[in-house]
Amino acid sequence: MSYQFNWSVLWSGQSGGWLLQGLLTTLELSALAWVLAAALGITSGAMRTVPWRPLRALATLYVEFFRNVPLLVWMFFWYFGVPPLLPMTIREWLFDHEAEFWAAMFALGVYHGARMAEVIRSGIQSIPRTQFEASVAMGLTTFQAYRLIIVPIALRLIVPPATNESLNLLKNSSVALTISVAELTFQTRQIETYTAKAIEALTAGTLIYLVLCVGIATVMARVERRFAIPGLIARGG
Amino acid sequence: MKRLFALVLTLALGLATSTPARAEGTLDKINQSGVLVIGTRTASPPFAFVNKNNEWVGFSIDLVEQGVLPSLSRKLGKPIKLEKKESTPPTRIPLLTSNAVDLIAGTMTDTRTRRDSVDFSITFFVTGAQFLVKRSSPIKGIESIAGKRVAAQQGSTNAKIIRERVPTAKLQEFPDQPAAFQALTQGQVDAYTNDGIQLYGLKAKAPKPDDWKVVGDFFSYEPYGMAMRKNDSDFRAAVNNGLMELIESGKYLELYDKWFGPKSETPYPLTPENKRFLIMQVVPK
Repeated sequence: MSYQFNWSVLWSGQSGGWLLQGLLTTLELSALAWVLAAALGITSGAMRTVPWRPLRALATLYVEFFRNVPLLVWMFFWYFGVPPLLPMTIREWLFDHEAEFWAAMFALGVYHGARMAEVIRSGIQSIPRTQFEASVAMGLTTFQAYRLIIVPIALRLIVPPATNESLNLLKNSSVALTISVAELTFQTRQIETYTAKAIEALTAGTLIYLVLCVGIATVMARVERRFAIPGLIARGG
Repeated sequence: MKRLFALVLTLALGLATSTPARAEGTLDKINQSGVLVIGTRTASPPFAFVNKNNEWVGFSIDLVEQGVLPSLSRKLGKPIKLEKKESTPPTRIPLLTSNAVDLIAGTMTDTRTRRDSVDFSITFFVTGAQFLVKRSSPIKGIESIAGKRVAAQQGSTNAKIIRERVPTAKLQEFPDQPAAFQALTQGQVDAYTNDGIQLYGLKAKAPKPDDWKVVGDFFSYEPYGMAMRKNDSDFRAAVNNGLMELIESGKYLELYDKWFGPKSETPYPLTPENKRFLIMQVVPK
């Protein structure tokens, strides 16, 4: 291999600033998309288990439609497919206000919402049916039973798979570079453009993703321990 | 934990500092495999693109097939086959350094920064950056893009120049030409900048070429070269000889006429200066 490494490209010139900017964009994009995904996921995950068919069908339609089409396609859909449907003035306004960022946010949020819904559904279905029956017997409506009993318990059960899904969301945010969002992966390529040192730039990007994900996973492991329901989850070791 | 850390550190250091017994030169590699592997573009007409008949063709590919390959065959004394792989601006240098391809023959501008990482052949085409805009657009060149949304290709030299010269322009960088052109068509961006010749290629391939115009003086100098791994002068000499013979024999002009002549899809006359520049790169036998 006749490649000469030059790691100093990562901290000389503008590289540091670009990486930081990219990191911030990635975090901002992922955080907003995560909120959307969580909201959609909890709603439709719960809807998939309610004893009323039209609601279940609606949620199933959403989940199957959005999780079975590749994320890349959704990026293009929200960026190229949706604007032509909007009135001219709104479209122009959007194009002047980082349309690509919002398109990426929706693409990520809606796609991962569908996947999150399945995680929530599995959590809800792991709760014994009697919990629901007991809540209804106490005089709660179905909505109240879900809001006060079922969903809170399910959320405490699904921390590990939800963490997994959240990390996927964070890493998938890199697909946004295909519609010109200047996130972290984009910025590592930018460094490559300026310095022609691709391996160094990619290594920096990889390490940042790794640190981010390991960090989040560690925090979530704490959360999991803190919120585990005694007696419901058998803990190993 | 300590042991794990030590292991990771050793691996990382090993990766960073080792220079494995310098693999044999590219010529030996080609001699053994009988194949020259090039990295090229799939959507950069007329240099390298997939045409209507689903064939991977273009000016750069022709230069390799009719200039570089014969030169290599002569040098090695046996027929050499060509294998094409897709390369994009962000991937082409890693593809080279990892030995996945031996030569980048597409639309790569020779720059001094890039020469830190790869070596270049002689220049085989000269162009400069311009803008592609809708016919009715008020944009006339780099002087009128302040505050406008401008698309560029990720990893290109044009984006770099716009960022430095017109920081107020809203630059949006797309990984490939089709996405950037789509954004221009729909109005997400007001202009798309790339090397002038590529914009003419794009315009010619557009569903309605007359809806578009290429505007502005060249705001950059883009000499295209073929890139290869550093410090491999035997291989570089073979590639350069192939290109020089093409220019010397006039075959280069035939190919130029095929792809850029008045009857081609992207007419782009060879200026007298550029022609002279090409000829003067040919050193005596």
